[in-house]
Amino acid sequence: MNSLRAFKTLLRFSFLRLFWSVNTLMVLLPVVGCFLFILRRGFGKMTPPEKAFDAFGTFLIFVFSSFLIPICSLGFGTTALGAEREDQTLVFLLTRPIPRWQILLAKILASLPLSCGIVLTSFAVYCLLVGSIGIKAFLIYWPAMLGMAVAYVALFHLFAVIFRHPTMLALVYALFIELFVGNLPGSIKRLAINYYGRSLIYGLGAVEGLKTPRGFEGIPAAQAYWTLAGISGGCLLATFLLFQWKEYRETP
Amino acid sequence: MIDLAPSSSTEFDLTFSRVTKFYGAVIGLNDLTCRIGQGITGLLGSNGAGKSTLLKLASGQLRPTQGEVRIGDLKTTSTSAKRLFGYCPDVPNLYEEMTGEEFVRTMCALHGFPYDEVCDRTQMALKEVGMTDRAQRKIAGCSHGMRQRFKLAQALVHDPQVLLLDEPLTGIDPGGRQEINELLFRLAEKGKSILVSSHILHDIETLADQILVLGRSRLIASGSLSEIRRLLDDRPLVIEIIADDPRSLAAELMTFSQVLGCDIEESRLRVRTKNAADFYARIQDLVVKGSQTIRQMQCLDEGAEAVFEYLQQGKHSS
Repeated sequence: MNSLRAFKTLLRFSFLRLFWSVNTLMVLLPVVGCFLFILRRGFGKMTPPEKAFDAFGTFLIFVFSSFLIPICSLGFGTTALGAEREDQTLVFLLTRPIPRWQILLAKILASLPLSCGIVLTSFAVYCLLVGSIGIKAFLIYWPAMLGMAVAYVALFHLFAVIFRHPTMLALVYALFIELFVGNLPGSIKRLAINYYGRSLIYGLGAVEGLKTPRGFEGIPAAQAYWTLAGISGGCLLATFLLFQWKEYRETP
Repeated sequence: MIDLAPSSSTEFDLTFSRVTKFYGAVIGLNDLTCRIGQGITGLLGSNGAGKSTLLKLASGQLRPTQGEVRIGDLKTTSTSAKRLFGYCPDVPNLYEEMTGEEFVRTMCALHGFPYDEVCDRTQMALKEVGMTDRAQRKIAGCSHGMRQRFKLAQALVHDPQVLLLDEPLTGIDPGGRQEINELLFRLAEKGKSILVSSHILHDIETLADQILVLGRSRLIASGSLSEIRRLLDDRPLVIEIIADDPRSLAAELMTFSQVLGCDIEESRLRVRTKNAADFYARIQDLVVKGSQTIRQMQCLDEGAEAVFEYLQQGKHSS
């Protein structure tokens, strides 16, 4: 018996289970919807180029980062562990000779490439559709998109460890609380991941003339980047600690 | 300590030392001390008695609030201990998208065996539970009995020393029960320790050498089947009899030493008896002699709940 082999089996099993789940389809639907929207909108044909860059930036902030990234992240972030809890199959993993931290690590490592892969791939495809302005936007914004995706995945894993039915709660959180809190005046908006993502996008885009809208008081890009990294690290640490100690006694 | 292990203890005995488990303010298991060794031990109790809590503590899913649970020298929550036991949970869901064979193979691979060994062990386990011919069925389309067998196969697949089975016979037809009982007897003969829970007395009777009876989160009786039987024989029962002449029957029954009292309600006679086996023998003599005509006779509290209630009362009064 080999622990590393058991871990690799769990990682492969978790990845395939996520990939071949209905969630993949559910996540791809809005991705395709945005693809069709960009085709129809024709950002690449806008003149002057500054206006096109600004319009595409607005799409990235209000549609891609506020809607698509949370959906992609929760699609895999909550279900990697949450589906095991909801289906009552977690017991089969917890009674294998695999340490709990490895079970959680396998679940996180299985969901990250899927969430981040779909976010970055769809972002790259959208940018290619837009043309030279899009390619420029990709090179500037990809760290912001990746940072947001990782932070959301980490947060939604924490949801899955705490709550028995995390998907619905994560959906409500992502689509309502994040957007609502992120747009509140004052310092309360700093509780939303979305706020740091937008600060990062505006900060990075300022070099190319992307204007920060009136009323939005962002923080410098570097600070936003490190805050996102801190949120990801903090959520993952809390997730590991809770999963190590929490007792799961889901029975019918 | 209640010792249900054979005289020679093995390195894989399951030991509960003053184990108490609280779920918040609710107590799941109260001050349990016992040792479970080779052979089949039945865990009997009504719903909510603490059977599943005990099995989850034994399988390391729960940590005791007080006391400790060990397999040999290892705490059951440790990763090494999990190599030593196989656990068959009382959950209806498996990985529905898989076939039975894929499920058992995956569970085996999660023990870290090489691929060839995983395949061999999977086939062996499926054969043991009689599912070789149905192994390619999707679990989503399987009956409850088939799921139970796949769950049993995943518990057996790594050849554990200790088997923890939570209600394994639920939903299995009589023929299947016989097959599973034979499998468990074979495993017990090989020296495995098997702990089987059920809320049905009959299931445990036919299977277990030793019995633990739980009630309201406490151990209320333990010992061999004959010891538990003796306790149950002294249990007062209420028997309802429909007779042509209930008054004269009541007068005659009151002369029996086993009868504690009688109530008459139209043609129905309710008899409270303290030794059911002797009472049945004597009333049979009455009918054979032809002195009384009895139309119908039924025991009103034969169910498992009544048995547990009785044992519990005995525990509290002792």
